[in-house]
Amino acid sequence: MRRRRFLQAAGSASALGLAGCLVQDEGSTSTEPTTDDATTSDDGATSTTSETTTEATADLAGTVRVATYESFLNAPSESYDAPGKFVKERFEEQYPEATVEYTVPSNGLNEYIQRRKRGASVDADVYVGLNVDDLVRIDENLGDKRLFEGLDRGRMERASHVRDELEFGDPKGRALAYDTGYISLVYDERDVDAPETLDDLTTSPYKSKLLAQTAQGTDTGQAFLLWTIAEKGADGYLDYWRDLLDNDVKVLGSWWDSYSAYLDDQRPMVVSYSTDQVYANRDGQNMAKHQVGFPNDQGYANPEGMGVIQGSDEVDLAYAFMDFVLRGDVQQTIALSNVQFPAVTDEHVDLPAAFSDYAYRPEDPVSLGYDELKGNLSGWVEDWSRLVASN
Amino acid sequence: MSQSSTRSPSRAFVQRLVDEHALAVGVGGTAVVLLLVLYVPVGVVFSEAFGVDGAPSVARFAAVFTDDFYVGDLAGVLASPLAFDAHAAAIAGFVGGFGVRVATLGPIPYPAPVLPSVDTGLFGFTAWQALLSTVASVLVGLPAAYVLATFEFRGRKTLRSITILPFVLPGILVAAGFFAAFGESGLLNDVLGVVGLHQSLLETNPLFVVVLAHAFYNAPLVARVTTGAWESVDARMVETARSLGAPRRRAFRDVVVPQLLPAVMAGALLTYVFTFMTFPIVLALGGLQLATVEVWVYNAAQNLDVPTAATLAVMETAISLALTYAYLRYEAGRSGLGSAGVDVDRERFLPDLSALDAKRVAVLAYGAFAAVLFLAPLVALLAESVTDGTGFTLDNYAFLVQRQATGAAFQTKPLDAIANSLVFATATLLVAVPMGVVVAVVSSGRGRTRTVVDALTMLPVAVSGIVFGVGLLTGLVFGIDLPGPYTLKVTGVVAVVAAHAVAAYPFVVRNVKPQLAAVDRSLVESARALGATRVRALLDVQLPLVWPGVLAGGAFAFAISMGEFDSTVILATQSSTATMPVAVERYLGRTLGPAMAMGSVLLVVTAASFVAVDRLGGYLGGFDR
Amino acid sequence: MTALTLDDVSVTYGSTTALDSVSLSVRDGEFFTLVGPSGCGKTTTLRTIAGFERPSAGRVRFGDRDVTGLPPEDRDVGVVFQNYALFPHMTVGENVAYGLNFADPPGGVADRERVAELLDLVDLSGFADRDPESLSGGQQQRVALARALAPGPEVLLLDEPMSALDARLREHLRRQVKRVQRELDITTVYVTHDQEEALAVSDRLAVVNDGRIEQVGTPEQVYREPATRFVAGFVGENNLLDGTFAGVDADGTVRVRANDVELAVAGGVAGRESGHGAPTSLAVGDHVTVSVRPAALDPDEGANRLELAVTDTAFLGERVRVDGDWRGTRVVAHLADRPASDTVELGFAPENARIVAVGD
Repeated sequence: MRRRRFLQAAGSASALGLAGCLVQDEGSTSTEPTTDDATTSDDGATSTTSETTTEATADLAGTVRVATYESFLNAPSESYDAPGKFVKERFEEQYPEATVEYTVPSNGLNEYIQRRKRGASVDADVYVGLNVDDLVRIDENLGDKRLFEGLDRGRMERASHVRDELEFGDPKGRALAYDTGYISLVYDERDVDAPETLDDLTTSPYKSKLLAQTAQGTDTGQAFLLWTIAEKGADGYLDYWRDLLDNDVKVLGSWWDSYSAYLDDQRPMVVSYSTDQVYANRDGQNMAKHQVGFPNDQGYANPEGMGVIQGSDEVDLAYAFMDFVLRGDVQQTIALSNVQFPAVTDEHVDLPAAFSDYAYRPEDPVSLGYDELKGNLSGWVEDWSRLVASN
Repeated sequence: MSQSSTRSPSRAFVQRLVDEHALAVGVGGTAVVLLLVLYVPVGVVFSEAFGVDGAPSVARFAAVFTDDFYVGDLAGVLASPLAFDAHAAAIAGFVGGFGVRVATLGPIPYPAPVLPSVDTGLFGFTAWQALLSTVASVLVGLPAAYVLATFEFRGRKTLRSITILPFVLPGILVAAGFFAAFGESGLLNDVLGVVGLHQSLLETNPLFVVVLAHAFYNAPLVARVTTGAWESVDARMVETARSLGAPRRRAFRDVVVPQLLPAVMAGALLTYVFTFMTFPIVLALGGLQLATVEVWVYNAAQNLDVPTAATLAVMETAISLALTYAYLRYEAGRSGLGSAGVDVDRERFLPDLSALDAKRVAVLAYGAFAAVLFLAPLVALLAESVTDGTGFTLDNYAFLVQRQATGAAFQTKPLDAIANSLVFATATLLVAVPMGVVVAVVSSGRGRTRTVVDALTMLPVAVSGIVFGVGLLTGLVFGIDLPGPYTLKVTGVVAVVAAHAVAAYPFVVRNVKPQLAAVDRSLVESARALGATRVRALLDVQLPLVWPGVLAGGAFAFAISMGEFDSTVILATQSSTATMPVAVERYLGRTLGPAMAMGSVLLVVTAASFVAVDRLGGYLGGFDR
Repeated sequence: MTALTLDDVSVTYGSTTALDSVSLSVRDGEFFTLVGPSGCGKTTTLRTIAGFERPSAGRVRFGDRDVTGLPPEDRDVGVVFQNYALFPHMTVGENVAYGLNFADPPGGVADRERVAELLDLVDLSGFADRDPESLSGGQQQRVALARALAPGPEVLLLDEPMSALDARLREHLRRQVKRVQRELDITTVYVTHDQEEALAVSDRLAVVNDGRIEQVGTPEQVYREPATRFVAGFVGENNLLDGTFAGVDADGTVRVRANDVELAVAGGVAGRESGHGAPTSLAVGDHVTVSVRPAALDPDEGANRLELAVTDTAFLGERVRVDGDWRGTRVVAHLADRPASDTVELGFAPENARIVAVGD
């Protein structure tokens, strides 16, 4: 009963322009009632004043069309629903005159690129789920036409909360990260030792041990490939992969394929996410099979970003939405249900021990930015694919 | 003598109007659907293969033909066509590069396909794995057809109805089922472990497992198509042969085999075409090392390199259609062998134990093998849906219930997905069967032109699924500019059904047409002389006689709609129009359980509806087989 | 009155011509037969009448009604096929009643009565509920006949209806068909390759060869006065003697020189049936063919004596068939007794010989 009253209070308060503070408090308490101390984060305190000022000029009534990927809306997760529902409900609480309408382009961002290319309408205001390579592909395909606005970060209170290492390096500044994964190795310590370096993977103790994924269209597979390119250089990565292939690495079709094979004990090591133990802990699995390895003390950072579709006529709401996604409780929810790291720095989000004790960040996150990928990515992937397929 | 040939004038007038134009309407409707949902969208994509910078060119094909990555050692042949000596060696090496050796699993020998030792390129490997898969599917499917067609046993009809169940399963479920059944710690190893055996086929011979998975999908297809033909083998001809002194085996070879071959070949052809364009399953089980052409089509499409995707897809389609054409020439040379609608006498399988002869023991052995191949992945799937890391759980089903009860409007709800699947499948059945029958009727007859037309009716199965998807998206969903101020856009439920029907109708054609050809022409002519229009003669005489074929085609149409994924997602953009396979995919989070629960629901609902479709169809047609 | 007319009907399949300018007229109530060797076009003619084939040229008329463009269902025809073509998934009664779905039975009776009436007509009362497959061939053919007649068609078309039956059954059924046809007085076109059958049942018949009509006439006319060499050879057994025109006597008897023997022919000249006048256009030395029936050859006949070397004899009961060679030409004779030696001398009366071909 107490919570119900609280919600009503929040609703009326937001109309007075005090939403940021109150909703932040409400969000944290309701999701994670045991961590009341989280509400004292400075996030709420700083937002109160600035949001009042934004709202004075911004038009925050109407429908914001949020394009995203399926699992943001539908994917189940043991005790957490997909983040979509939470985000919509809370956003509409904070902005009572606003409605969030989700849309899932059937072919992902490619559909929008193709639409823009052919002059068909792109019926969305915000896109949630951008990767760096998406920006590269947009520019390679659209040339002068643009799909995303360059972001005016000054319009988002919390833009500055985002970790520096999650910048996309996009000269046009179109994307802002909202979460990130670190691609690492997951291994069964009963069968193999943690590889110290990437080069270890080409040595005999690791022969026929590793499961990877194709870089054609899978995030983890592409990330692992880019990691090896970052380390071995564009000239050396194919040689490294030749050695890996000689050492019988297996490259399957999707993260799911390889992870299923891993769970079925086909091989004791798989390219996966550094948050693996969060699941293992939830499911009560044997941790020995869910060890996370960071060869070279590295992991490949794979931030997911959001951006405003160029031509949106709800730009104000779009910015409000993105800013909202960076709010502490929303960051927490997305992190927990996607089992990814929040994009904001630690002081802006509170994570329960069930997450923070089991999710590991590499000491030395690696990633290739926009400039490095542009003009190179599809060639790298094609050359690599041919090497693997001809093997 | 002359007299009115009408009954009550007004009703008769309407009826005649319908009768006379129904075929024209059917042909027109079929043509419009095919044009809108297949030819135009796919044509637009294909056309990109034939141009470079806007000018017509075959340079893209030349590039593929001379790239050893694609065609292996044949690249040299096509690059410099006049160096004959070198080419003979290249071709010999290419052909000789394939092989099968005998490997052993514990004490059990099995045929292990050998990866080509010479460079056969992507196309060579693709063709090779498709050939192996086809042989495997025929070998596994034929005994099933034999058992279903010649023995009577409890549950036969149900078994027959659900034969094609594997055909509808989403790739993700089959891959998961195969891992859970045949993986290192899968069901099979649990059993083999008891007798001290342990197999690691996925590690030692992934191609063999991929071929098995293809057989899992396609052997049921071969079995279903062949069972129908086997049931319509004229028993009197066998008796005649035996009365002429032919021993049983000889009578089988001389009489039954020739009547079965067209159906077996049809099943083999479809299997080859499907496995030639296999995509997710080969990557899931075999990995990129066993990549096929379709993988490259997918990659190109993902990179928005539509011309490359189109070029490879055109080549796939050309190969598939050429094979189809060859098959149809062969079929045309033998039609008229089977006779439709003959009653079948079946032997009781096991009236008592004394009846257990060598033949029945062999059947039982086959049954055990089939149970392992087909049941293990399905059982493993069901098992995964009720277990988690620690043991038995109903959480995954609780998730389904909860999603149904509290899901948001933009979320996919299980009951909606079930209802949508059944509605789409039923609608597909109702559209695809008339389409297929109309095409079978119109394209019947002899001659090369007819055969070409007939081969073209197989286009939906011969077009890369990925290119079909790109065509639907960029064509129908984005809109195609028409002359004047018009734009053609087709989306929503009707478009989904149309796309499913287009994918399904070739199965109706292939099941109905040979049987239709076997119906004596004079039956139709008698009906027409008695006053029946072409359509009435079709409905009153031909269709009842080929009803088993119609039913088999209808079952395939239903199944294809049930299993369809891509065009459903592309054309039905709202969550409320998701089908069961779509729901399976959407419930895939970082844990497999909920998707497996939805997959189990899909399995059960699909199996039940197959039985219902078969029973209802049999009842409608007056057949009870 | 003319019930059925074909005017210059041609049917072509691609580059092959199945029917070449065929013209026919069949009278009301007539039993008309198309006879000829297999592949001659007789079945095509019937199928064109039924509407199963579209003529590439010419018209088909039923009475005054031009039916050329009409589909079979609009023509009021009844068709019986060689293989019966009963609908296997319907009972006998349902088969017979099928045509009544599209036309009221003649005489205003109910469908059920009409079916009973017709089954009665073909002596199959009580078979209505049987499956066609449980019937013998002859019974099935009678069902097919009843089915074709049920809607009261204008024309009955029979396509080799007896050829799948054995000889005795065929004889019996032929009589039954004929009786039914007489009873109903229905215009009937009958196709057969059996010239004996054609002679036996027809009011008139047309001999068809190679897509063309060779001759139309009563059985007697066709038998006795074959219009062409083909008809002479096809209808009944005949000896065809090739020779050259050698002149005409005052009484009109034609002189023909064959195998260095001069023959007298007074049975007429094909194509010139009005008056037995000799063809004035013939010049001495022109090729002609003379036909003589085997029965006309007689050892006691004084005219036209031929000396045969006997090659074979066969006792046929009432007569003996003798195959012989006359100066290189095969000749067949029907005699009362076996010849005593291996040569035999026979003659034939000039009026029993006929010129059936001129030229070539």
